[in-house]
Amino acid sequence: MTPSLESIRACLEGVVPSLVATCAADGVPNLTYVSQVHYVDRRHVALSFQFFNKTRENILANPRATVFLIDPHTAARYVLQVRYLRTETSGGLFERMKAHLAGIASHTGMASVFKLQGADVYEALGIEHLPGPELAPPPERSGLLGAVRHVSTLLASASDLHTILDDVLAVLESDLGIAHAMVMLIDRSHERLFTVASRGYPASGVGSEIALGHGVIGVAAREGTAIRITHGTSEYAYSRTMRERAERHGLAELLETEIPLPGLPAPGSQLAVPLRVSGCTVGVLFVESPQEARFSWEDEDALVAIAAQLGTTIVVLQQAADASDDAPARAEHAPTPRGTPLVVRHYAADHSVFIGDEYLIKGVAGAIFRKLVRDFLVEGRTDFTNRELRLDPSIRLPDITDNLEARLILLVRRLQERGPDIHIEKTGRGRFHLAVRRPLTLTEVG
Amino acid sequence: MGERILTDDVLEFLQHRVMVSVASRNADHVPSVVRCVGFRVHEASQRMTVFVVARQAERLLADIRASGRVAAVFSEPHTHRSLQLKGESAVIGPLEEGDWPAIGAYGELAVAELGPLGYAETWIRKVFECTPAQVQAVRFTPSSAFAQTPGPRAGARLSGALP
Repeated sequence: MTPSLESIRACLEGVVPSLVATCAADGVPNLTYVSQVHYVDRRHVALSFQFFNKTRENILANPRATVFLIDPHTAARYVLQVRYLRTETSGGLFERMKAHLAGIASHTGMASVFKLQGADVYEALGIEHLPGPELAPPPERSGLLGAVRHVSTLLASASDLHTILDDVLAVLESDLGIAHAMVMLIDRSHERLFTVASRGYPASGVGSEIALGHGVIGVAAREGTAIRITHGTSEYAYSRTMRERAERHGLAELLETEIPLPGLPAPGSQLAVPLRVSGCTVGVLFVESPQEARFSWEDEDALVAIAAQLGTTIVVLQQAADASDDAPARAEHAPTPRGTPLVVRHYAADHSVFIGDEYLIKGVAGAIFRKLVRDFLVEGRTDFTNRELRLDPSIRLPDITDNLEARLILLVRRLQERGPDIHIEKTGRGRFHLAVRRPLTLTEVG
Repeated sequence: MGERILTDDVLEFLQHRVMVSVASRNADHVPSVVRCVGFRVHEASQRMTVFVVARQAERLLADIRASGRVAAVFSEPHTHRSLQLKGESAVIGPLEEGDWPAIGAYGELAVAELGPLGYAETWIRKVFECTPAQVQAVRFTPSSAFAQTPGPRAGARLSGALP
């Protein structure tokens, strides 16, 4: 049977570097490694064009190229005959390959140097399966569709954003064996993403931030496309070689400070899938593993399906919380707590909040917390609604699409992690209760 | 001729744990390529030999017989340092004395180099598995050398130190 591009997708994962042979107009052959032959569709592949080199020069003069591929599981060898068609410098394919490359680059501070110039699209003319000793293929994956169904069912019956995020991450582990995962949502006004839920890390990292466009997560969010790094060690080494060389050639000042991502110290595989709703990215579902080549294109397919429904669910639950009955918050006075007072400090400049000497949170969530504490101290109020927060001028939510419910989740979790003295409990859709177990004082700074 | 291609730098690099692949092309300038199962450097004669499994390299061997053209890339996987050697009058022949031990040593070197990068030993051994009867030698005198380490200088004709 003649192999198809579909049947050799395992070879198109960038696990084993491929070889690309070209021939110059004067008949001199040229051979080079390429880290990924990108699967485009059943009849096309794309190679990354990063530098103007001999391969580039050759295919512009003579479009025929020959690619040598090895299956990372079976060691099966394939020769792919291709013809160069065009270079794409914008559009979906370009953005996807660029993001893949940018993700690698950003991880090692190569963002300014390691740029995709274009996606070179080739038509596949033929695939030859070379004879040779091979290993048995791995057993076919099963259970992916069942896992998608499990998450889908959960999301379809979700009524509370606070619990559904944890529930989804739990199923990723139980059904897909994905032990390290997080959900980040976008703060459009500050061009950042913030973590609202995570699973499988020593510290939850809830409240941690990353700039849009940085790392695999930031780039997935900015480009609105899934980014999968299948061979972390190899691609890291690839970037590091380039970086050392760039430094030697005087490009060092262009290298940005390396931004540490929350997560595994040495991930072998990473996959960031944007949460897309009505054509907009609202956040990112990120998974990783210390194991190399842990996530295949099949895992990506499953997580893209899950992420689409997760994004929609987040938006729907957010709107539901905002639109809930604005029942007047109970104005009953809570019993006065006893003990040493907790000093809450609020800095006006960035709404950062400290409890005692411990940093709690900043930004919108910080402004919300300040309002709650102030209303508690001045009016003795302990019950609040999302709606009044949205209307409160002191909080100044950037716009109606801001993730208010997500900010509350952030605040709830940061308080939980801090200790038992002060916390927030959900009391209904769009309503919550501030529980205070020690006397408070509020210090305004700036 | 006259210019020495296998300089001390090149020879030093080829003593690292480098992997090799080779390409040629047919009369219509359609390229052919295969991964090699080993190589040898003949310093005194300034010649190189790369070894291929014949049944995996039918097109390549036919192209070399017809054109004599070869391009061989030597790469150290853990650093990605790479070097391309080109030749114009390659010849194909059976193994000679000392070739088979070199092929065996190359397989062991591949296990040592690729193992730490995450490749399973069984997989590596499968990639390089062959018998002496299956292997053909491609012998050539390099006529040019090019830096191939990824980066802005990749493809530069080599003069002086390797990148």
